[in-house]
Amino acid sequence: MNTVDTLIKQSTSHLLMSSVRFSRMAALVVFGVMFAFAGEIFAQVSGTVKDEAGPLRGVTIRVKGGTKGAVSDKDGKYSIATTDADKVLVFSLIGYAKKEVTIAGKSVIDVVMSLDVQRLEDVVVVGYGSAIKKDLTGNIAKVKASEISDVPVPSFDAAIQGKAAGVVVTQGSGKLGQGMQIRVRGASSISAGQDPLYVVDGVPLTAALGGFAGAFTNGRSVNPLADINPQDIESIDILKDAAAAAIYGSRGANGVVLVTTKKGKAGKTNINFGFQRGFSSPAKTLKFLNRAQYLDHFRRAAGNSDRIDGIDPKDPDSYTASIEAYIQEQSLGLYDPAKPTDLSKVPDTDWGAAVLRNDAPTTQADFSMSGGTDKTAFFLSGQLFEQEGILVGNKLNRLSGRLNVDHKVSDNFKTGFNLNITRTNNKRLAGDNAFSSPLQAVALAPVTPLIDPTTGLPTGTPPGDANIPVYYNPLVGINNSYRDYVNLRNLGNIFGELIIIEGLKLRGQFGFDLATQSEEQWFGAKTIRNSGLPLGGITNLNQTVENFSGAAFLTYNKVFDAHTLEVTAGTEYQQSRSKTSVVSAQDLPSDAFRLAAAAAKPTGVTASQTDFTFLRYLARANYKFSEWLLVSGSASIDGSSRFGANKRYGFFPAGSVGVVLSEMEFLKDNEVLSFLKARASFGRTGNAEIGNFGSRGLVSGDAVYNLAPGTRPSQLPNPNLSWEITDQANIGVDFGFLNNRITGEIDLYTKNSTDLLLTIDVPGTTGFATQTRNVGSLQNKGIEIVLNTDNVNVEGFSWKTSLNFSSNTNLVQNLQGQILRGGIGALPSRAQEGQPIGVFFTPEYAGVDPTNGNAIWYRNDTLGSRTTTSVYSQAKQIVAGSPLPAWTGAITNNFSFLGMFDFSFQFNAVIGNTINFFGVGQYSSAGSSFEDNVAVDQLNYWTPTNKNSTLPEARYLKANGGQASSRFLLDGSFVRLRNVTLSFNTPKSILNDLNIGITSLRVYATALNLMTFTNYRGWDPEVNSDDFGGNIAQGVDFYTAPQARTITFGINVGF
Amino acid sequence: MLPKHSKQIFQMKLSNIMKSIQKLTIGLSALVLMVIVSACANLLNVDPVTTIDGSTDLKSELSVKVALTGAYDGLSSGFIYGGEQSVYSELLGDDGEIRFRGTFAYLGNVWRKQILPLDASATTTWMNSFSTINRANRVLANIDTLLPEDRNSVRGQALFIRGAVYFELVRFYGKTFGDGNNATNPAVPLITTPLAAFSTGVITSEDSRTRNSVAEIYAQVVSDLTTAESLLPATSDGTRANKAVAAALLSRVYLMQGDYANARDAANRVIATNRYTLAPNFIECFREALPGFSGETIFRIPVLEQDGANSLNTYYSATPGGRRDMEVLAKHVALYETGDARASMFFTSSGRRLSSKWTDQYGDVPIFRIAEMYLTRAEANQRLGTEVGAKPLDDINRIRARVKLPALTSLTLAAILKERKLELAFEGHLLHDLKRTRSNISAALPFSANNLVFPIPQREIDVNKNLVQNPGY
Repeated sequence: MNTVDTLIKQSTSHLLMSSVRFSRMAALVVFGVMFAFAGEIFAQVSGTVKDEAGPLRGVTIRVKGGTKGAVSDKDGKYSIATTDADKVLVFSLIGYAKKEVTIAGKSVIDVVMSLDVQRLEDVVVVGYGSAIKKDLTGNIAKVKASEISDVPVPSFDAAIQGKAAGVVVTQGSGKLGQGMQIRVRGASSISAGQDPLYVVDGVPLTAALGGFAGAFTNGRSVNPLADINPQDIESIDILKDAAAAAIYGSRGANGVVLVTTKKGKAGKTNINFGFQRGFSSPAKTLKFLNRAQYLDHFRRAAGNSDRIDGIDPKDPDSYTASIEAYIQEQSLGLYDPAKPTDLSKVPDTDWGAAVLRNDAPTTQADFSMSGGTDKTAFFLSGQLFEQEGILVGNKLNRLSGRLNVDHKVSDNFKTGFNLNITRTNNKRLAGDNAFSSPLQAVALAPVTPLIDPTTGLPTGTPPGDANIPVYYNPLVGINNSYRDYVNLRNLGNIFGELIIIEGLKLRGQFGFDLATQSEEQWFGAKTIRNSGLPLGGITNLNQTVENFSGAAFLTYNKVFDAHTLEVTAGTEYQQSRSKTSVVSAQDLPSDAFRLAAAAAKPTGVTASQTDFTFLRYLARANYKFSEWLLVSGSASIDGSSRFGANKRYGFFPAGSVGVVLSEMEFLKDNEVLSFLKARASFGRTGNAEIGNFGSRGLVSGDAVYNLAPGTRPSQLPNPNLSWEITDQANIGVDFGFLNNRITGEIDLYTKNSTDLLLTIDVPGTTGFATQTRNVGSLQNKGIEIVLNTDNVNVEGFSWKTSLNFSSNTNLVQNLQGQILRGGIGALPSRAQEGQPIGVFFTPEYAGVDPTNGNAIWYRNDTLGSRTTTSVYSQAKQIVAGSPLPAWTGAITNNFSFLGMFDFSFQFNAVIGNTINFFGVGQYSSAGSSFEDNVAVDQLNYWTPTNKNSTLPEARYLKANGGQASSRFLLDGSFVRLRNVTLSFNTPKSILNDLNIGITSLRVYATALNLMTFTNYRGWDPEVNSDDFGGNIAQGVDFYTAPQARTITFGINVGF
Repeated sequence: MLPKHSKQIFQMKLSNIMKSIQKLTIGLSALVLMVIVSACANLLNVDPVTTIDGSTDLKSELSVKVALTGAYDGLSSGFIYGGEQSVYSELLGDDGEIRFRGTFAYLGNVWRKQILPLDASATTTWMNSFSTINRANRVLANIDTLLPEDRNSVRGQALFIRGAVYFELVRFYGKTFGDGNNATNPAVPLITTPLAAFSTGVITSEDSRTRNSVAEIYAQVVSDLTTAESLLPATSDGTRANKAVAAALLSRVYLMQGDYANARDAANRVIATNRYTLAPNFIECFREALPGFSGETIFRIPVLEQDGANSLNTYYSATPGGRRDMEVLAKHVALYETGDARASMFFTSSGRRLSSKWTDQYGDVPIFRIAEMYLTRAEANQRLGTEVGAKPLDDINRIRARVKLPALTSLTLAAILKERKLELAFEGHLLHDLKRTRSNISAALPFSANNLVFPIPQREIDVNKNLVQNPGY
């Protein structure tokens, strides 16, 4: 037995058995290696590796401390040669706890492995494969199902807030189902897309949905992730550095978010029911003047304007006369100017309270079933989710079903499919900038009654006076119009996986993401003031997005002695076609008719189509030597239809290396340090997220005049347009102390983006506003720290803490002198050289001239000059703030008592960012020139007896400090008690005693956004207005709805 | 229960099927790979279907004609003839006769004479104007593609559009004609050729234009419109240019230059066509559906439900469509003589007095009315002491008679100007009439004040270093 010859024979025959097609080269390598060890005394150890369900294939078996290795075959069998010096065998497989077994002379060692829960052994999903976290050389953040399953939000992106370092999630507003913003390690582009690539079970998702631009609404996008049931998600893996993302080459510059859905497992069928009921209220509100304050404020403001213009207040054209008439008019005559002090009949309406809801219900019912045989496993789920918004009229309803099936046709061939069907119905609201957006009601005068006493309807509803209140009453719109969005989303893939020979796997997959969206907008005749439609009207929008992708790739795994090699190579193709049609019509017979069929006048019929394709070739090799050296390299060649004919392909390589120092001799037996890995990576990723025909000169046929067809040139060509490039370097350490009770990661990175796909301004005299060019560079650099600790772990009680911290510095380095703008015109957000993207550019407010109440600004003629002026146009604009936080972080604590009670809470913090409140501030502040109601915190403005105020004197219809300035740039830092969950797991013993088939029973309560600590004076510091947000425009608050504070109670039952 | 051997056969068959499936998978994967590799070049060739590639445009006769329609579309945009510029003129020229009560901050800034270089008033006007000029230049450069019989008309229309846009630009962005040295006062860049970069893709330093002088722009405008008048057909449907439309605009241009003889003659040419007559009732001038409208109107911008709102309706009117922004104060109303039918062109909406000129939500917007031609001819004749076409007194009394005012027996220039102001109130003439007559807006605000001239848009200053900002900004 113990002869070299026998051993060679055995090995050889084993290989031959595995595959006759195995190349001779490989065999020769094995021979060579075997000979190298000739001369030592060998013992052959063999056995079977299993888990609960049966034999395990692909388990790596290694001699501890040695260099030899083997892999179990399809029957779980392995065989490994050992010497006398070898004491222990180490069994490892992704997803399972590493197991060590002492050889002690045994020749047969059978092992049962168990699934693992330890952080360092986590399986992470990488592009086109998976890996053990410990073996990673790149930076991937993982969020597990258990971390998001209780959070009462419609989409998973909202749930991962604060869960991963360097991943900043901003929910723009409290409107349901709208686009969220996720930035992985900062914004790496200025004009092209900044969102990460989302990949669900290997299928790249359609990134933008519902960008409808209709006649009566603006193009507010819906959240493309809202069609995915978070309860179906097994894990979310966020590829952050280039080593991790480069396999997605062209698409990876903004990071990649890989979503893996749940799969069935062989064994008993598990059935789970879940039910959640929650109640949402605004997390934060803002107080406006009541009737007495309002009257007093506007009388004084009008008097001040009369004084300045030298108008006699008794003049019928005086501001004072105007305001008295205005109050009378706005109160529907309930205010009598003849009795200026009698407010007894004057209404005192809190408009904010009228449009914000408390205790808006959320209901979620889940069902799932999973199980299977050794051949077929399935996961089946269904969900009903219904959430009413904290803004009146806003409601999201989702029905979703999923079926994931994996089937082993034979030992070597596996196939399966994942299918997700969802119907999402969103009763949407108008954009923030619209008078019909509910929160704009705060601007209405408190003296206007909520209900018009003559009609019993909300004031402004015909037959009442439609011109009252001062602006359109959003409640009229809520009652007499809708924007009913329905998306039928069909997302899935079919795959086949063939083991050609042991270790060589071919996977082919075909994925699809089909969205059929419609938005029916109806505007009843009573919306006449807002819609301008005396007989009502409709707009029906339909959009289909067909997104297909196909991928074929080979994976080769080989363990030979101390060497582990994994090679992946393949190709992927994606094509997307989006078709939109819009029909607008007006003049309906009555409000009962709500579709175009009944409309007398079609006013708009349009249809459009847009397409893009991607073609990619990719390859990756991961190499591991012993347990301590990890080397990885990848490359992809990517083509995009969006670029100039000769500039379509880009090359995206990456390399990385990791050294597990704790596996090296000098640290191996260290008592304190249980794990230490240093890693470094460098790589290139790309960005092509621009308009589909960005390189083409375009002529549009929409220049219709007097119903005759007309054309106009609509886009400048750029035949040289090509990829935007991001080169990223990352160094990091992963560590574990005290038997991994303390683990963590520290990463430093630099991302340099060059050849930016920039929508640059061109002289307007050309007849065009912009051209897309590869111009300029941008840098993000930062640090990320993750720390996980098991603070207490005693019988009956455990306490774990996890903390993440990240700081990203963004710098626009070169734009060839260009300045790009976004956001609110008068207080623009800018991209300019030497500043982070999105800086606010505006005059610097200097407060009030105490002698006369004039608002004053610093002239800033020379930088830092402190001379002031009360002439607004004399104040130079300066960079006055950045919307980007200095750092973000989160801390989560988990407590477990007696294995029954779990309690966790998470704080997250966003620190050092500036919010642009000008959108609201210009209308609702002391010194504003409008008739809008004013925030209560503005009352303490300058008066002859209050000369030290920093708020300027109120002057009706005169801008006194209401102009754009740093006065309206506010610190947006906040710390939020994001999530608190208390749950009770019924002990197994009790359930067993009950013996009614229930295998698990869990009840819980969760609170979302329970407390917010901030100095921000607007509604909510977590804000990005839907109408003013964009790549450059960040942190704009424009009557943007606050986040919801939601308290949920739930139950999960397993059978 | 199957007999044992058939079960075996079944299993064998099954395993054969499995093997077939495996082979199929390999085959399919190989096929997919081959297709992708071989077809890769084609897979990335995706053409637009909603729009067309610019390189294919303007090759046919029809394509030039629809490009002309596109130029009219540009002219009709809200920021040119679609209403905004008319509103700016009224707001900038106002001295306490209206009060802007809307929420568009940039319009409030115009009213307060505090326009900022970032404002839409300055920016969008500029952008839309030059876009329209480029559209017109593209047509003018491709006239030869047309059939010979169409060339004059199309060229004349494109020249009219370019001249009209430049006239508005020079009035808003440059100093008033004659205020200082026209030859050195900067106006806007003069561009008479289509943008080369639309075919090359390369914006060059030559595209960073400098401002041409007020004199140069006026010369081009006069030249464009004079040529247009000579080329255009005598008649059109009123939404497209004809000889009279070009002459009407020329009369305005000459009046603005203080060239009264030419202004008079141009106005007289329009009147002499005898195709335009004063509508019997004043209100008919502003209601497309009323019978007098078409006779009164020389040129109009069509407004249809398909176009959406027009800016005049938006700001002046009330529900439906209007925002009630332009409150008319008592000071203005007091200017009308007793019995003046024009004094009834106001209505009160929930306590706010508004002009009823622009309440026709989808009514066409008159750009030139025959009444203006009578007023211009009268003023020019009065100033020159001539009686070309008619006596000034007759022209003015014609206007007065329509609004039920007694005929005047004698005439002064001031009376003509007052008649003009009231007749054309809220039609966009106020600022320009004040400027050309050197009338100060108020004691504190002379006609030549810096803040009555638009700033060059900030985005334009930022992107083109050759542009010099106007004084005061």
